[in-house]
Amino acid sequence: MTIDARELNEFTRKATDLMSETSDVPRILRNQLGENHQLAQAAEEMLGSIENFVRELRCFDISGQNIGNDPFGGS
Amino acid sequence: MYILEADFERLIRVLSEARSRATELAASIGARLGTEHRLAKLASVASLKIEGMLLEVRTSATGRADSSGGLAELHGALQTEMQPANPTPANPSENMPTGVHAMAAIATQAGLEPEHWLPMFVNDLFSQLGTSGGITFEVAERLLQQRKDDFLRDFLIARRMYRTYPRLFPEIQGEAGPAERQTISQ
Repeated sequence: MTIDARELNEFTRKATDLMSETSDVPRILRNQLGENHQLAQAAEEMLGSIENFVRELRCFDISGQNIGNDPFGGS
Repeated sequence: MYILEADFERLIRVLSEARSRATELAASIGARLGTEHRLAKLASVASLKIEGMLLEVRTSATGRADSSGGLAELHGALQTEMQPANPTPANPSENMPTGVHAMAAIATQAGLEPEHWLPMFVNDLFSQLGTSGGITFEVAERLLQQRKDDFLRDFLIARRMYRTYPRLFPEIQGEAGPAERQTISQ
């Protein structure tokens, strides 16, 4: 299965929106609970995973896709 | 240090919406690139982190509400007062069918399977009403979101099962078109 530029842009846009919508969560928890609190640290991890996902989407090379990699793909 | 009630509500709302979007995004990417693709896995990880965060915040909010009953009751009363008037009796659970019966009745009336999300959602609403004696738009939205997330999760599991163990679904294989059957038989 492969992905085209339009789909990749759409996924990247949605992921970026997701990142900006959740970016306040660690700050709120850090300000109110302190940066060492478990909730504040979990929020940092969560945002980190979203940022990592967005970074990978932005770096994804459409031309380097391995066509036929998925045995159930059929495309 | 503690979190303000309004901040708890805001965090839960933001995380609940984010979880839904992340789950949808993970499902879309998985459908296009395969669930084993690096991007699909990263999307799933992000979705799981958001879900874990939401659970932790909800647990903290519940714990705080339990430990400060007076304020929570006042807040609940305020929320109930802010909702449109409804003909709910003083004790709503008295004249309400039990969960299973309500769900079965709703499903039968609508011609749906009892496992369909709609009767289950209505049952959630009844349960909430019976438990707290009131319901707000925010709670209803959250319950609907939970049903939607559950549906998406079930859908992803079912699709993975179907792709991995096609022989367990002979009736669906029979309905699939030629191209699909060819894919399934691999």
